[in-house]
Amino acid sequence: MGKVAIIGVGHSKFGKRSDASLRELAFEAYRAALGDAEIESKTIDASLVCSATHYDKQRSPAGVINEYLGLNPKPTFNVEAACASSAVGLRTASALISSKLHDIVAVVGVQKMTELPNEEIQELMGRAGDVMWESPFGTTMPAYYAMYATAHMSRYGTTEEDMARVSVKNRAYGAKNPDAMFQKPILLEDVLNSRMVSYPLKLFDCCANADGAACLIVANGEKARKLSDRPVWVAGLGLASSPMSLAGRNGPLTSFEVSKKAARTAYEMARIRPEDVDVAEVHDSFSITEILNYEDLGFAKPGKGAKLLKDHETELGGKTPVNVDGGLIAKGHPVGATGASQIATLVHQIRGEAGKSQVDGAKVGLAQNIGGIGMYGCVTVLKA
Amino acid sequence: MGFEKFGKEGYVSQTKITPMLSYLKKNQLPATVCQKCKRTWFPPRADCPNCKSNITEWTTIDGTCRLVTFTEVHFAPPQFQSDTPYFLGVAELKGGFRVFAPISGKISRDMLKPGRQMVLRPTTPTVDHTYYLLEEL
Repeated sequence: MGKVAIIGVGHSKFGKRSDASLRELAFEAYRAALGDAEIESKTIDASLVCSATHYDKQRSPAGVINEYLGLNPKPTFNVEAACASSAVGLRTASALISSKLHDIVAVVGVQKMTELPNEEIQELMGRAGDVMWESPFGTTMPAYYAMYATAHMSRYGTTEEDMARVSVKNRAYGAKNPDAMFQKPILLEDVLNSRMVSYPLKLFDCCANADGAACLIVANGEKARKLSDRPVWVAGLGLASSPMSLAGRNGPLTSFEVSKKAARTAYEMARIRPEDVDVAEVHDSFSITEILNYEDLGFAKPGKGAKLLKDHETELGGKTPVNVDGGLIAKGHPVGATGASQIATLVHQIRGEAGKSQVDGAKVGLAQNIGGIGMYGCVTVLKA
Repeated sequence: MGFEKFGKEGYVSQTKITPMLSYLKKNQLPATVCQKCKRTWFPPRADCPNCKSNITEWTTIDGTCRLVTFTEVHFAPPQFQSDTPYFLGVAELKGGFRVFAPISGKISRDMLKPGRQMVLRPTTPTVDHTYYLLEEL
C-alpha cells in the first residue's frame, strides 16, 4: 500500500441527541475535521458515508449527507459493515488513495439510533444474527456476546466481577471525555446489581445505542506532508470475516477468530508486535468483549485477559492502556460512527493532545472494531 | 407450507430447503447430502460450497449432542418478550455438526454447563411452528 495518513479528525458529542438530525450530526463531525486539518471543503475529493443503514430513516444516506456537507458533485457512497462500518471506511479510503483514484477522502461515520421507537430498534436488534437459523428463536445482540461470556467463564474461570471491572474502568475514563454519552463513574456493585439483560451480561455490562458522528480526513503521503505538520500514518490494515451464524463457527467460542486474523494481518503490515502498541481502542460493545479482545490481540494469553485487567495493565500508566476515552461502554455506540471515533482518539493520542487521558509518549496506536456479532473484524495500526 | 413456520417466529418464507419441515413434523432431524462430494450438511443446505453442486438428497441425523455454550435471555425482541426468560444454546452433534437452538425451559440454569450431554429433538408445538429444541438426554 502507498503512504496514507490521517490529517484531520472531528467528533460530535455522542448520546441521545434529540437536538440533531442524521445529516446535522455528520456535519458537526465534518466541520470539526476540516477545522482540525485546516483545509477547505474544495480540497476533499470524495466522501465515504459509513453507517449501518438499517437504523437510518433515510434510505441510502450518503446521498443526502454528501449534499448537506456541500460536496456535490464529488463521488460518494455508503460503506456498511455493521458496527465496523467506519473502520472499514478508513480501509476503503486507504485503498482509493493508494490506487491514486483520489488524493483526499473524508470518511464520515454517523448513526442516529435513538429516534427509532424502542420496539422497532429491539426488533431490528433481534435480526442481528442469521435470520434463517438463529433469529427465529429470539436472538439479541447481548445474547450472542453472552454466549461467548458463558463459554469463557466455563473454560477459564472468568467471573461476572471480572467483566464488571471493564465497565468500571471505561466509565471512569468516560468521565474525562466531554463527548461521551455517560460521564459519571460507576462502582463494581452498580454493575453487579444492574438488571439482567442476557445471562451473564447485565445492563452495565452493555454499551448503549446512541446518536453521533466522527469524521476522518485521509490523504496520500505527498498531500499529507504538504498540508499537515502532524500527519498520523496508517501503518497496518487488517480485516477478516467469520461465519455470521454462531453454529457455523468452530472451537469453544471463547475468542473471536476475526479479531485474531485481522490483528495478525495488521501487525505484519505495520511490522510491529502486540507489545509495541502504546495505546489501544478496542470494541467493548460488552464488558466480556474487551476481555476477549485483550487475548485475541495478543495483549494477554488465552484465558488471562481478566488478570491483565486486575493487574491494572490496561489503565493509564499500565503496559497497554485500553479505551482511555471511555470506550463504547461510556461513549455510547452510534454504530456507524464508532470505528472513526476510535481512530480519532488514537490520532489525538499520537499527536499528544489527549489531555487528561494522554498516554505519555504514545507513538503506536491500535484500533480494533468488531462488526455485528463477530462476522467482521477490523484492526488498524496508526503510527506517528 | 412456507419456511416461515420454522422456529418460534420465522423471517424467511421462501427457500429450497422447505422439505426440512416435513421431516421435523415426523420427529426426524433432517440434513442434506451432496451427491458429488458426499458431505452431509446440517442445518440443511441446497448448495454445496465445496464442489458447488446443487444438493437434492436428504438424510436424517442423530440428535445426541454436547452443549458448547448458552445464555438466558431476559430482555428480548418484542415478539419474544412474553417468553422471557428463555435459554438459547449452541450444541455440537455427532459428526461435528453444530446447531443453534432454544433449550427446554424444564432445565434450570444451574444444570446448564458447556460440555453437558444433551439431545436435540424436533418439536411441533402448534400447526404453525415446527423446529428443534435442546433437551435433557
